[in-house]
Amino acid sequence: MVSSVELVRSVPPHVPTSRVYDFDFHNDPLYAEKGDMHDAFAHLLSNAPSMFWTPRNGGHWVILEHDLVAQAMRTPEIFSSVRQAIPAMPVDIVMPPIMLDPPEHAKFRAPLNKAFSPKSMQEISASVRELAAELIDNIAADGHCDFVGAISEPLPVLIFMKLMGMPVDRLADFREWVHQTLSNTPEREIAYGKVAQLMAELIDARIKEPQNDLISRLIELEIDGEKLSRELLLGYCQLLFIAGLDTVVNGMSFAIRHLARNPALQEQLRADPSRIPDAVEEMLRRYPIAMPSRRVVQDIEWNGIELRTGDLVLMALPAAHLDSKAFPDPQRFDLDRDNVTHITFGTGVHRCAGSHLARIELQILNEEWLKRIPSFRMDPDKKERFHAANVLSIDYLPLVWTI
Amino acid sequence: MKIVIDRTRCVGHARCAAIDPELYILDDDGYIASDGFDVPEGKEASAKRGARACPERVISVVEED
Repeated sequence: MVSSVELVRSVPPHVPTSRVYDFDFHNDPLYAEKGDMHDAFAHLLSNAPSMFWTPRNGGHWVILEHDLVAQAMRTPEIFSSVRQAIPAMPVDIVMPPIMLDPPEHAKFRAPLNKAFSPKSMQEISASVRELAAELIDNIAADGHCDFVGAISEPLPVLIFMKLMGMPVDRLADFREWVHQTLSNTPEREIAYGKVAQLMAELIDARIKEPQNDLISRLIELEIDGEKLSRELLLGYCQLLFIAGLDTVVNGMSFAIRHLARNPALQEQLRADPSRIPDAVEEMLRRYPIAMPSRRVVQDIEWNGIELRTGDLVLMALPAAHLDSKAFPDPQRFDLDRDNVTHITFGTGVHRCAGSHLARIELQILNEEWLKRIPSFRMDPDKKERFHAANVLSIDYLPLVWTI
Repeated sequence: MKIVIDRTRCVGHARCAAIDPELYILDDDGYIASDGFDVPEGKEASAKRGARACPERVISVVEED
């Protein structure tokens, strides 16, 4: 329940009291109380309306139910991606294609589809495997590690930085910036500025001397017969920075955290690695990390709910995948689940462009990790740390194993 | 058995091709490259699983007598 009078007053008149629920997706006390972010969303599913208005972070809708999330993502004529950030962006940055609607969206999406197609990603799988093996070998004899610092941060981020053409020695700085861009603190605007400046420098360098990387290709890109404006080129690069430097990191951390807490599953996959692709799908289904948002662009009654132009909407994919109407016994990790057709990568035209890269990376990580590390578990003497934003993040994941 | 695909609604999850890359051919962008096909004998189960794997629900199975 909303406790503060001020927050209650901030609820717009078209929202009925029965649809108001107090939830701060950045810092809700429920996360710490449950000790597990996905458990927090399971709690919301049983206690909050399937779609509710929260007065936090400037006031916005939250959709929990799977069917409603899928519908909203497939209806860009009501749920627009233009200026959709929650809270609203400090500066009006347009990051194509994620902040564009059809038909404009498709033109900017096409080059990413080609760059990140299943075929293109197969071609880099050998380098992913090589880096995974190297990083795991570095710590295998230690008998313990912080999985985030040792593996899930460097592995996908270095791969992505090389694809983009970013300087790999600045990984630590970039990770800090990406967390700030996703925060609801004053650092957010400063971090966007830092990313823009970095990308501007890289773009200038590639204009002088093109390389075989994504930034060089975006510079050459023509849409409707014209090269991208400097502003759009920067926006594109900013999006790739944020999308590429944080998501798979957390996908990997949640996957390995699940294995650490389920030794029987570790054994099963070690004995039969051919089940790893199925396990990855169920990990993706059980632990979605992204919560995209949209902005309503019509005054409309939608599934019995009054929406007004300008309403912001958070689509809680982690909750949607714990909805028992979509997945029976949803909290159970089931390798043989009858239906693992999840929308963890979203649905509709904005389906995560990096999904094929993410899947390959997750599969290779699981294969190499289980091959090289014996039965492992959460370190009982240390405490994991996590934080939430539009991406659910594990910041510290202490593991131990016997050497 | 026939597979019918509402190709305009494909958003490139590529799950059909992950199940059966020979039946479900993708274009260079990773989107489905056909509007459907006749399922070769013996491939019915695989075709059905590929259809079911589509998160967009744009692949239908048409059973013939």
